[in-house]
Amino acid sequence: MPGLGISLGRGGATTFQQDLKNADCIVIQGSNMAECHPVGFQWVMEARERGATLIHVDPRFTRTSAMANLHVPIRAGTDIAFLGGLIHFLLEHERYFKDYVLHYTNAANIIREGFQDTEDLDGFFSGYLPDEGKYDIATWQYEGVSGTVPAGGHKQLYAEPGAGKGGEEEGTTARFEAHKDPTLQHPRCVFQLLKRHFQRYTPAIVSQVCGVPEEQFLKVAEALCANSGRERTTAFCYSVGWTQHSVGVQYIRTASILQLLLGNIGRPGGGILALRGHASIQGSSDIPTLYNLLPGYMPMPHARQGYDLDDYLKDHAASTGWWSNLPKYAVSLLKAWFGDAATKENHYLFGHLPRLTGNHSHMQTVADMADGRVKGYFVMGENPAVGSMNGALQRKGLRQLDWLVVRDLTLIETAEFWRHAPEIDRGDVRTEDIQTEVFFFPAAAHTEKEGTFTNTQRLLQWRDRAVDPPGDARSELHFIYHLGRRLKALYASSRERKDQPLHDLTWDYPTRGKHEEPSAEAVLQEINGYTIADRHVVSGFSDLKDDGSTACGCWIYSGCYADGVNQTARRKPAREQSWVAPEWGWAWPANRRLLYNRASADPEGRPWSERKKYVWWDAEQRRWTGEDVPDFIADRPPDYRPPEDARGVDALGGTDPFLMQVDGKAWLFAPSGVVDGPLPTHYEPEESPVRNALYGQQCNPARLEWRRRDNPLHRAWADPRYPFVLTTYRLTEHHTAGGMSRWLSWLSELQPEQFCEVSPELAAERGLTNGGWATVRTARGDMECRVLVTERLRPLKLNGKWVHQIGLPYHWGVTGRVRASGANDLIPFVADPNVEIQESKAFTGDIVAGRQATGERAAAGAPERALPPGVPELRRDSPSVGDVAHAVYQEKWEQEP
Amino acid sequence: MSHSTGNGVTPLDRLQRKQDGRNVDSTLGVLAGEGSRQRVKDPESAYPAHGQQVSTLPSRAGPEREEAPSYYGLPAVKEPVWIWSIPAYLYVGGVAGAASVLGLAADMAGGPKLARLGRRCLWVGTVGDMLSAGLLIHDLGRPERFLNMLRVFRPTSPMSIGSWVLAASGGLNTLGLLLGHRRGWAGAVGRGATAGAAVLGMPLAGYTAVLLCNSAVPVWQATHRTLPLFFMSSATAAAGSLLSLLPHGPREERVLRPYRLTGKVAKVLTFAAVERDAARVSEVARPLKEGLPGALWRTSRVCSAAGLLLEVLPGRARWKQVASDVLNTVASLASRFALFHAGKASARNPQATFQGQRQGLGAAEVMGHTVASDGKPLKFPLPVLR
Amino acid sequence: MGQKGFFTDTTLCIGCKACEVACKQWNQLPDDGFRFTGMSYDNTGALGASTWRHVAFVERPVPLQGQATGVGDFSWLMMSDVCKHCQRAGCLEACPTGAIIRTEFDTVYVQPDVCNGCGYCVVGCPFGVISRREDDGRAWKCTLCYDRLGEGMTPACAKACPTESIAFGDLDELHTRAENRVRKLHEQGVTDAYLYGKDSANQPGTGGLNAFFLLVDRPEVYGLPPDPVVPTVKGARTWGMVALGALGMAAVALGSVLAGREARS
Ligand SMILES: Nc1nc2c(c(=O)[nH]1)N[C@H]1C(S)=C(S)[C@@H](COP(=O)(O)OP(=O)(O)OC[C@H]3O[C@@H](n4cnc5c(=O)[nH]c(N)nc54)[C@H](O)[C@@H]3O)O[C@H]1N2
Ligand SMILES: Nc1nc2c(c(=O)[nH]1)N[C@H]1C(S)=C(S)[C@@H](COP(=O)(O)OP(=O)(O)OC[C@H]3O[C@@H](n4cnc5c(=O)[nH]c(N)nc54)[C@H](O)[C@@H]3O)O[C@H]1N2
Ligand code: SF4
Ligand code: SF4
Ligand code: SF4
Ligand code: SF4
Ligand code: SF4
Ligand SMILES: [Mo]
Repeated sequence: MPGLGISLGRGGATTFQQDLKNADCIVIQGSNMAECHPVGFQWVMEARERGATLIHVDPRFTRTSAMANLHVPIRAGTDIAFLGGLIHFLLEHERYFKDYVLHYTNAANIIREGFQDTEDLDGFFSGYLPDEGKYDIATWQYEGVSGTVPAGGHKQLYAEPGAGKGGEEEGTTARFEAHKDPTLQHPRCVFQLLKRHFQRYTPAIVSQVCGVPEEQFLKVAEALCANSGRERTTAFCYSVGWTQHSVGVQYIRTASILQLLLGNIGRPGGGILALRGHASIQGSSDIPTLYNLLPGYMPMPHARQGYDLDDYLKDHAASTGWWSNLPKYAVSLLKAWFGDAATKENHYLFGHLPRLTGNHSHMQTVADMADGRVKGYFVMGENPAVGSMNGALQRKGLRQLDWLVVRDLTLIETAEFWRHAPEIDRGDVRTEDIQTEVFFFPAAAHTEKEGTFTNTQRLLQWRDRAVDPPGDARSELHFIYHLGRRLKALYASSRERKDQPLHDLTWDYPTRGKHEEPSAEAVLQEINGYTIADRHVVSGFSDLKDDGSTACGCWIYSGCYADGVNQTARRKPAREQSWVAPEWGWAWPANRRLLYNRASADPEGRPWSERKKYVWWDAEQRRWTGEDVPDFIADRPPDYRPPEDARGVDALGGTDPFLMQVDGKAWLFAPSGVVDGPLPTHYEPEESPVRNALYGQQCNPARLEWRRRDNPLHRAWADPRYPFVLTTYRLTEHHTAGGMSRWLSWLSELQPEQFCEVSPELAAERGLTNGGWATVRTARGDMECRVLVTERLRPLKLNGKWVHQIGLPYHWGVTGRVRASGANDLIPFVADPNVEIQESKAFTGDIVAGRQATGERAAAGAPERALPPGVPELRRDSPSVGDVAHAVYQEKWEQEP
Repeated sequence: MSHSTGNGVTPLDRLQRKQDGRNVDSTLGVLAGEGSRQRVKDPESAYPAHGQQVSTLPSRAGPEREEAPSYYGLPAVKEPVWIWSIPAYLYVGGVAGAASVLGLAADMAGGPKLARLGRRCLWVGTVGDMLSAGLLIHDLGRPERFLNMLRVFRPTSPMSIGSWVLAASGGLNTLGLLLGHRRGWAGAVGRGATAGAAVLGMPLAGYTAVLLCNSAVPVWQATHRTLPLFFMSSATAAAGSLLSLLPHGPREERVLRPYRLTGKVAKVLTFAAVERDAARVSEVARPLKEGLPGALWRTSRVCSAAGLLLEVLPGRARWKQVASDVLNTVASLASRFALFHAGKASARNPQATFQGQRQGLGAAEVMGHTVASDGKPLKFPLPVLR
Repeated sequence: MGQKGFFTDTTLCIGCKACEVACKQWNQLPDDGFRFTGMSYDNTGALGASTWRHVAFVERPVPLQGQATGVGDFSWLMMSDVCKHCQRAGCLEACPTGAIIRTEFDTVYVQPDVCNGCGYCVVGCPFGVISRREDDGRAWKCTLCYDRLGEGMTPACAKACPTESIAFGDLDELHTRAENRVRKLHEQGVTDAYLYGKDSANQPGTGGLNAFFLLVDRPEVYGLPPDPVVPTVKGARTWGMVALGALGMAAVALGSVLAGREARS
């Protein structure tokens, strides 16, 4: 989650759900919290009961809106304009929290001379490389710093052009302090750049872009200002309504900037709550299933970087700030993986780690599969044939494999793609022509195995096994462990160099029972970390060493097994402890519940106000203290100023609450870490009904887009074939791609059929009747569904033009107890360049009454519908990376030094 | 479009649907919940509401949302689950009860000359009781379910009272039939039984009205004062007609004639009273005017009137008498079926429930309060009869 | 044991249907088929023999007090409905077999092993709650988790409710809580809020409901009757009329016999 990570230092929600009850105002935008996070929503309800104002900004009136004091309908894909408008409002009317902004953010930093803004370049920042569709970020840097100012929260970028090493030679805090203007007047200081960047985001523009009337927008602005400052705080909650855009990361950046200007980060009832999805999706980025990260947000080494651990560390370890500790965490990780075989001499076997050669994200991999470049594929706990974009292309990819392993609870569409799929029903693809060998492994459900979930607020909660899994069903742990064991055995006699990592891997978890189920607690202990000498669990990441004397599977989780106790299994009821409930489960880092909480005190270390006190400096004890574990160096006084030559953590001053950052400040302006711009900019989605009203540049110039015959895109804007905005989302009654809900009759009966939500106006225009059938189409494919005509959706007026939005829940697929052809067969491969997330929240399409689906899929060879005569195709801009065939892309990297 | 999309179309689907509609694999989970004993043959059939599909905008569900709100026009009370045998029973039970009463009167006051009439009535009563039990059992499905009725006696439940009355009356009538003509103590017992059955015949003819009125079905509840009188007079008329249609002598005819006539007159009057009671609220009365029950109700009205007219017209031609009695019988049957179906229809119409109560036909009718549960005043456009 | 009940505060309901599912799961009730109704997000329609909790979704062309929305005059009400466990329960009073009893928790419970499926309770309930499952032949409704209460547990639906829209507890406490809640809402300007069926003063026809509600629109909007009455209240009058009718029947019979005899002599 680089949006938060780059701005604040850590890629996780800054606060916890229980803290929402302290908010005076809660803005839920880009999330349908009541429907998708109903249990956490109780704290929103509690805040509302205590008098907080609840605002929901969403294209639709949802169950969340039903609870809100103010619901603002917005055009999908335009939140940066809306939030940018709020930023403009704060700056214009001087309503920001001056003391906070000045002391805790990089507002005063001066940016290099050569920096040019989107204001100057009509939608581009300086450094755009049109051939590559990428930015060279050299001009975005702080003045006086050579090379790149490294970002704290998300470091994959280093392998990308324009980033890399640098800025670290004379790396002390001093180099930042020297080039600041505390009066915030310097024309190149971040504050002034911000002002200039957002000067166009006026209420009139907001209304024109988002379809939000000015008075409604101003209502939100006033509510925010009235509920921020010393005495009051406002919290933001978002989820995938913000992330699933080709500018997704920048959405979060905009919210971070806004919350920083309002002084709402690190304070009770404030913050940005990223509501995450699957039970442990936070866990799966902490100990990542992502291709470009190692556990604990350490970057995955890139092939360009050579094989040397020292190079890697020099590249990534910041000279100041918390990331100066990287060597300790990296070496401990290698020790955990390779045990005694990892020594200082062999660079702790750093060479055994795989290397990135480019984009290996989900969509790129599927495109490679479709092109026959991938032989085998493991799908564990995912249902891409339904849940991922351009379903037909996903299935095309599966068809080109030699083998596919699916581990799931039920026979999901991804396991059945060879006999149940629209293109098979239609006869475009014949089962007998599919070569893929499919192995289905029944998986144990969460009740049938033990382990932890890391939830949306970084909280690890241990879960016991209630029953043994039935039949052949086994846990993931069992599968992976025994697969590893067998591979090790299989290659035991191999002397080949490439097999050496398998030999060196430590793979010695104790097992239990006749199925030899590995012990999850043993794994957790390894994640926590231990001393090599006596195998003693460490008490936290401060115990980790870079000399090979400690091992740790994930440094941010270090402490979860402190004192030899499974801290994640603590279940002391909230009523028996303080409201922060520190003894329920265990939160990373170091059991902190509210991050950056040093910022809840003023620069002198006193609470900003009695009402909002949380963590403060106790002058007598000479320690930080309060409700939570202080997110700061416990004994560093507020008046500490680092000496000129201070390095590492010592270089953080007493007023630097964002200690993961090199400069200890929150980043209003991001000199690095975000590949599509240091400041968020409104771009239209890849497919939009209108032209970008703000800039000549229509879409995010750095977005990833796959221009292939099997992934056709609509005209960039105002495509007459596909006039409506489509957006997809969830329903409380189902879960994601349906594997866990469409097979259950108790859930299925609650939402039995795929439907679309349309406004009465659109229904009248297209002759749709409530309860009747409709067919929704895009260039990728079509889908039949029921119609729900509702006033919860209204057309929006943009600059005199009416825009209709159609809502589509995306839970259905072609197997299971309730079925439909699935909304994701409509959506193209287009992605945000930072995290390769798909754009599924805003695209265009058409709707007609009746059951008229043909079942044709572009990815199964259907011809494209031509534009009406006289309507020209619109070029978006130069090609982006995804556009280049993978082989070419890979080759290009290999050629570079 | 194709076989794997849309709901419930593939054989696999149907197989899955044939499961019991629960998500418990009995090899893995214990079926011990309260509802686990619920037998399921066809999960789809459970909901009448499911068949309903709303095609108006949800926010405007029901065209007159503002004036006459409801929840998507769905019923506010459940409609009766009974089948045709219940209205048939309403007729048969009434005839049996009335006949028993007449029989007793003949036995007591008619002297030996009317013994044949008494015996005939006893037969009609007994057979009627048997038939009634048969009809009830048909509705319940299994004979032992009828016995279950006699587990307890519950004065608040007209069905309980009625079951006991029917059972007792049937038993006594049978006893009377078997023993009544004997001598000695057996005969005394038999005659006593017949008398008992006859006394029970009156509630038997009337309780069925309470059975209906003592319900949340709007049109039944709305007629709770007049329906018993209608049922009982109609039973009298119907018994009279039936006995008249059966072969009988002049002596019997002399009794049956005034009996019939009074019954038919009373029936016509009480019919109008029922109609008036229902008409206090238009939505409540609606099913007596429209659709199948409306047609049956009109049939009943016309037939009763015609039957009465033929009865009072001068002349004693046999055909006229037969026509009158057949018409009257048809009227009786039609009215029972009309009321039964009207009950179903009025239960289905939420406005019958809502408007009836808003206009004072709910609890206010008997309890006299003037505001509804939402604190809004109740409207009393109709005189509140106390 | 004390009187137990539910106070369902519809202003807190987020329509998540957790209660509906929790009820089905705990009680192992079957599904009712899969059909799209077009009734907002309500696809189960009504309370029935195998749906003992039901969440209603009301889309109204009327704004909600305290709410401003960009979609015009509109609001969305949600309400989790259930058997009311009436103080005077129409179903219980109607049941001829004694299958329906009042428990030690003052709740109304159907004993499935006694029920003979006569269906009389179905028309006895003024709220249209209890109903007969046709392929089962017996009447079913919410038990107020009789099996859980006995173990000192909270009913499954209330336990699952994330927002405490369903509050379970002792009736007196619920009454106090509900009154406070209404007062607070009124202070906040939601003057439409009122309690439905709290006690016999509010709902004389039922003597008050053990499961009562806080509503913000007319009861009809949620499918609830405005002035329900346990039918038996009117029964006394009806029996009176039967007595009158009986007199009449006897008189007519006797009169006819006497008249017939007279005519002969
Ligand atoms: N019941 C249930 N709960 C779930 C899940 C589930 O499937 N079912 N899934 C879980 C998972 S994996 C996740 S990631 C989370 C997701 O949680 P959410 O993000 O809350 O879920 P969504 O429904 O995908 O989208 C949220 C809202 O974004 C709105 N939206 C669409 N486009 C835009 C836009 O451009 N701007 C704004 N402001 N809003 C927009 C949609 O109308 C929708 O109401 O939920 C989790 N919780
Ligand atoms: N159009 C559109 N598409 C979207 C989204 C959207 O908002 N709009 N949201 C996206 C988001 S945020 C997400 S997270 C994805 C989700 O999409 P997927 O992850 O593809 O879908 P799920 O249904 O969540 O798949 C999880 C599978 O794991 C199985 N499972 C459950 N427990 C276990 C277990 O313990 N072990 C194993 N092996 N399997 C298990 C389940 O049965 C299920 O089939 O969808 C994405 N797709
Ligand atoms: S499914 Fe789990 S994570 Fe989601 S709201 Fe319910 S309890 Fe919370
Ligand atoms: S609501 Fe109906 S079913 Fe429930 S107790 Fe009252 S009368 Fe009986
Ligand atoms: S159906 Fe069962 S519970 Fe209902 S009244 Fe008849 S016996 Fe009683
Ligand atoms: S109390 Fe129990 S039986 Fe009643 S609705 Fe709630 S969960 Fe279902
Ligand atoms: S569980 Fe609670 S919030 Fe959810 S639908 Fe039921 S009553 Fe409403
Ligand atoms: Mo997700």
